[in-house]
Amino acid sequence: MKVCEAAVSNSLHEHWAVPDEVKDGREFILNPPEPELVLDYEIESRNYAKAGKASSDIKLTLKQLGVDPSVLRKIAIACYEAEINVVAHSKGGKMHANIYDDRVLVILEDEGPGIEDVEKAMLPGFSTADELAREMGFGAGLGLPNIKKNCDAMHISSRLGYKTRLNFFVLFDKLINGNTNEQ
Amino acid sequence: MVTQMSNKKKEYYHSVYLETDKCVGCTKCVRICPTEAIRVREGKAKIDSTRCIDCGECINTCPVNAIRIISDSLDELKKYKYKLAIISASYAGQFAEDIGLEKALKALFHLGFDDIAEQAMITDITADIIRDYIRTHPKIRPILSSNCPAIVRLVQVRFPSLLSNLLHIESPISMLAKYYRDNITIEEKLKPEEIGIFLIVPSASQVTAVHQPEGTYKHLHDGAIAISDIYCKVMDIQKDLDKDNRKINSYANGLSWAVAGQEAQEIAADDIRTLAISGIHNVIDILSNIESHRLDQYDYIELRSCSQGCVGGSLNVENPFVAENRILNMVRSSKKLDIDNNYFFKLYREGYFDVIPLEPRSIMELDKDIKKAIGLMKKVKETLNKLPGLDCGVCGSPTCKALAEDIAKGNATLEDCIIRTRKLKS
Repeated sequence: MKVCEAAVSNSLHEHWAVPDEVKDGREFILNPPEPELVLDYEIESRNYAKAGKASSDIKLTLKQLGVDPSVLRKIAIACYEAEINVVAHSKGGKMHANIYDDRVLVILEDEGPGIEDVEKAMLPGFSTADELAREMGFGAGLGLPNIKKNCDAMHISSRLGYKTRLNFFVLFDKLINGNTNEQ
Repeated sequence: MVTQMSNKKKEYYHSVYLETDKCVGCTKCVRICPTEAIRVREGKAKIDSTRCIDCGECINTCPVNAIRIISDSLDELKKYKYKLAIISASYAGQFAEDIGLEKALKALFHLGFDDIAEQAMITDITADIIRDYIRTHPKIRPILSSNCPAIVRLVQVRFPSLLSNLLHIESPISMLAKYYRDNITIEEKLKPEEIGIFLIVPSASQVTAVHQPEGTYKHLHDGAIAISDIYCKVMDIQKDLDKDNRKINSYANGLSWAVAGQEAQEIAADDIRTLAISGIHNVIDILSNIESHRLDQYDYIELRSCSQGCVGGSLNVENPFVAENRILNMVRSSKKLDIDNNYFFKLYREGYFDVIPLEPRSIMELDKDIKKAIGLMKKVKETLNKLPGLDCGVCGSPTCKALAEDIAKGNATLEDCIIRTRKLKS
């Protein structure tokens, strides 16, 4: 059994996007430390009317934590694209936001059916979206590249017939931080 | 003493206030407030001055008229040698056909004004200016209309990341004030402070904007008088008005912006895609989408706090739908005005109507220090799990989440939740 599992995980297609400046990028995604706060959401397949709720809630929570507005907008875009991907392409899944005092790590795991070619899916303009998704204004093939553009590190693993798992984090480097006691 | 004085100075001016004696503690205002600024504690509502944006939602919902608006009285006119009234477009919708716009405008002379100016005069030029602004700021999308003072304040407190998207040009009514004060100073040989410029306004937020202006470089208005106050006076002097033969130029063609959606329609062009939203809760939804870059395909978005636009403001008298219908009829039966707009447009190009970049007044953070904020948020989540999630508002906080936040900040206790207390007993 164990051998079999290893084989499966070895054969998953992966894509890493971690800039050199973000030194702990891979390590942080592979072995995330205990978060300060976790937000959990269920995402329904094909429910476009409710799509975006989880992302909005994550955004609101981070706003209340004082995350800089420009960073917040990056997070909002990345989360929304990721959430829509699960709604449009999967059989449904889960979204978690692990909040730390310097970043948010967003984890999405769906119930399949998996991505045939992960590298191709990372290309701008590539889309397998169906008619319903396109009618709703999605499926321009910018989802994953847009997430990559708006986060500080990301990792996706998938394969046709398997679950897709997407992890990305955004650093809060520009925190509206305290020390403004002198007035 | 000194600190108290400076603290007092810093307090934000509000036109909306509560008559505590009248309040019955029903919590209707608590639940409708778009910035969660109101709490009922010990049977009485209390408005948090840092969160209130003077949108007036609470005034419309209060069943006992305990929430009111302070606006300026006509007595203020006595302080000035020369008095000008600048009239909001929704004024025209308040009077039935037997009085009509012309008589309603004449009335202002009888009430002590030396001259009047209608916001409607510059509707066309404002549209030209906004279109030019859109075309010369291609990197900002969507551009958000800053015409409604409640919306400007909403963005400051809840959506500070969108402040740069707001149209950074004086509102039409302020453009007129600026232009007139400078001209009257020269023509009447008066000092600027001898001229009193009063706005005749339909909403609480416009009173606030006069006394606590945002982004403006210099003092523009001396007071804001409620349309409803003027309306009463007009009713009193109807007979005098019948005898008054003075000629009035009214600008019915430009009145349409008092109605939601008309601004967006007029600004739209082949290269400018516009959208119009009214009603503050709808506006909040849209702003949240804009914040997540989901509406970048629009060039310009009209936003109005009141649900039919300015005709829906709480200082009007007439039903908003009736007022809307009257105004649109007047617009339809009027002619396009032949005004030379070049002069105004030149002033705009020279930066005469520029405003100071708008500053945030964010109310969203639980704490300035993120570690403390996370700690508070943890407490909020734990508390929220203990609450019933009905958002009934009986505790005096608008939602269970708001109560959980109040508890985390030490401003309420779990016992405030009556539903929970009762469940624990049974």
